[in-house]
Amino acid sequence: MRIEHREGVAALHGHCRVADAETLASLLQQSPGITLDVSGCESLHAAVVQAILAFRPPVVGAPADPFLKNHLLTALAREAAVD
Amino acid sequence: MIDELLAQFLIEGREQSLEAGADLVALQRGPIDRARLDRCFRAVHTLKGSADLLGYKPMGRALHAAEDALGALRDHPPADGHDFSALLAVADQVERWLDALEAAAALPDDAAKAADGLVARLTGQPLADAAPAAADDWDGAAVFPGRGGVAVRYTPRADAYFSGDDPTAIAAGLPGLAELRVRLAEPAGELGLYDPFRCNLVIEALSTAPRPQVEEALRLVRDQVAFASLTAAAPTAAPAPVAEPEAARRSLRIDADRIDQMADLADQLVVAKNGLTELASQVEALDGGRALGQALRARQAELDRLVGSLNATVGQARLTPLAPLLGRFPRLAREIAAELGKPAVLEIEGGEVEVDKAVVDGLFEPLLHLVRNALDHGVETASARTAAGKPGQAKIRLSARTLGDQVVIAVADDGAGIDPQRVRAKALARGLIDGQAAAALDEAAVIELIFRPGFSTAETVSSVSGRGVGMDAVRAAVVRLGGRVEVRSQRGQGATFNLVLPIRTVLTRLIVVACGDERFGLPMDAVAEVARVAARDVTPIRERRAFVLRDQVVPLVDLGQALGRRDPARDSGRVVVARVGGEPVGFEIDAVVDRVDAVVRPMNGLLAGTRGVAGTTLAADGSVLLVLDLSELAS
Repeated sequence: MRIEHREGVAALHGHCRVADAETLASLLQQSPGITLDVSGCESLHAAVVQAILAFRPPVVGAPADPFLKNHLLTALAREAAVD
Repeated sequence: MIDELLAQFLIEGREQSLEAGADLVALQRGPIDRARLDRCFRAVHTLKGSADLLGYKPMGRALHAAEDALGALRDHPPADGHDFSALLAVADQVERWLDALEAAAALPDDAAKAADGLVARLTGQPLADAAPAAADDWDGAAVFPGRGGVAVRYTPRADAYFSGDDPTAIAAGLPGLAELRVRLAEPAGELGLYDPFRCNLVIEALSTAPRPQVEEALRLVRDQVAFASLTAAAPTAAPAPVAEPEAARRSLRIDADRIDQMADLADQLVVAKNGLTELASQVEALDGGRALGQALRARQAELDRLVGSLNATVGQARLTPLAPLLGRFPRLAREIAAELGKPAVLEIEGGEVEVDKAVVDGLFEPLLHLVRNALDHGVETASARTAAGKPGQAKIRLSARTLGDQVVIAVADDGAGIDPQRVRAKALARGLIDGQAAAALDEAAVIELIFRPGFSTAETVSSVSGRGVGMDAVRAAVVRLGGRVEVRSQRGQGATFNLVLPIRTVLTRLIVVACGDERFGLPMDAVAEVARVAARDVTPIRERRAFVLRDQVVPLVDLGQALGRRDPARDSGRVVVARVGGEPVGFEIDAVVDRVDAVVRPMNGLLAGTRGVAGTTLAADGSVLLVLDLSELAS
């Protein structure tokens, strides 16, 4: 995974693997207001998805992969909208 | 935390079980209404979820069985006249279990056995024709309502990541994926302690592929997956009109104690702001103080207005619908009727009527007694009823309606009515009235005799009516709330008890004091303090007496003697200091007995002009308590 920082936004690029979950969790902990841009993601390991569910940052962007775009991000958006 | 969960469960659980019970009774009686079946299902489903969450296993089991039965009925609605009694038994039992939880925070010891009985009764019943489903491990229909296909719940183990599993990739590999849900299995907790490698996910998915294919895709994690085969809801030929949910008011659940605290503060504000009138007078009396005094008065008038508004608003907030109170009675009536062996049904109406919380709180016991009484004494046995050409099942109607600023709550039965001859005879037998007086009474007056204390010791003390709580107690309770009880009866047709109550109770804070063997109520806002004055500090001044309170000389009046009592107050040293015309006056009493909130009714008729008396209220023992006007007594 490669992370690009713009102001207030961390863009994730490439394959986000299990080890990246720790990096992401640290990032989200230190920058609580940050938005994640996932348009550059090629895959998201469940541990990374889990970190997103736990820290609940805003998530933007539409990745190319159909599973990510049509199912996983929809599922994340659904959880974000709950309570 | 646990207590809060339970408290919340008790509130919501009661609502849901009342809803379910009411729906089941209606379904039993009338045409099968799909919207009602659906509402009932959802209420039971929610109850089941909460019971499971809180770990009340027997309750959960019974509710699971009820939910399954309702689910099947919902999918394939039965014909009119279907027997819902097994489901109703579950709803009633759940209400009883809620009572037990409220009383003891635990289910009764026989709960498991009772649950077994309920489940057996439910599953022994032939359900509506349901297509036999493949073995289902979980309730997929709840997560994907109305959808068809294979529903999967994948809960990876906590060490899934360490095993090299990527649950996302596994989900991505599902054939025919129609919908995906991903959530945390447990709340994340303290984020500072977040463990990124401990798997804490639940993945739910719906697939349109054949089940064997889906199972194949998940074979490596089969032990962490539950399956359910769902059938899409068949479109209904004539969709039943969905009953509009009650117009959602913007509402909050508020702890009743907080409203009481607010009401308390509002009352204290009234007393505090009253003190300003006096200050304003004192200021005006100073040299050059007129302008300032008038400015103070103007401010006080404004405060008056605001406090009045606040009081009214808090009063509004104390208004609460009667529905939860009334809703308890159908089940109670079922139980009492079963105990007495008399088939009967209790219908309620007017639950949306709102009254002051104090009224709602104070009405349960009187209403319960009236319902018991109707079933025990009013309603005839089933055979007597059919012989008289009445339906075998008796009907009791518990209704509420507003009438101006009052509410009328009626308990009406279609029983035998009140027999004036029997009442007269009983009153004579109990020595409540003598023969001459009894003969002089007309029928309506005879019926009123049932409210006399001592009337209602039943000949047969049934466990239902016989505890010596009589009609007199019912009347006293209603009068204490500022209302009255009226009874109407027709021989052979039934009796109706009307409770007429003010919607808002105006409660006055009183201190109850003793003068000899008599008790009197003093309005608290007239009382500045209760002081202790030793006999040696009392100085006679001509025929009167006075004492020194801090730096002031205060006249002392014996309260009992001011009221015309002969005996002087005992030397208890207790003095109630009131402000009369801006000056303190001490009233000597024997003792302060109590502090109460009561509804004070003004004297009317011949007694209206009585000096020194502001009104009356009822003491807890039912006796009349005079509420005094201290300023009249002092002058």
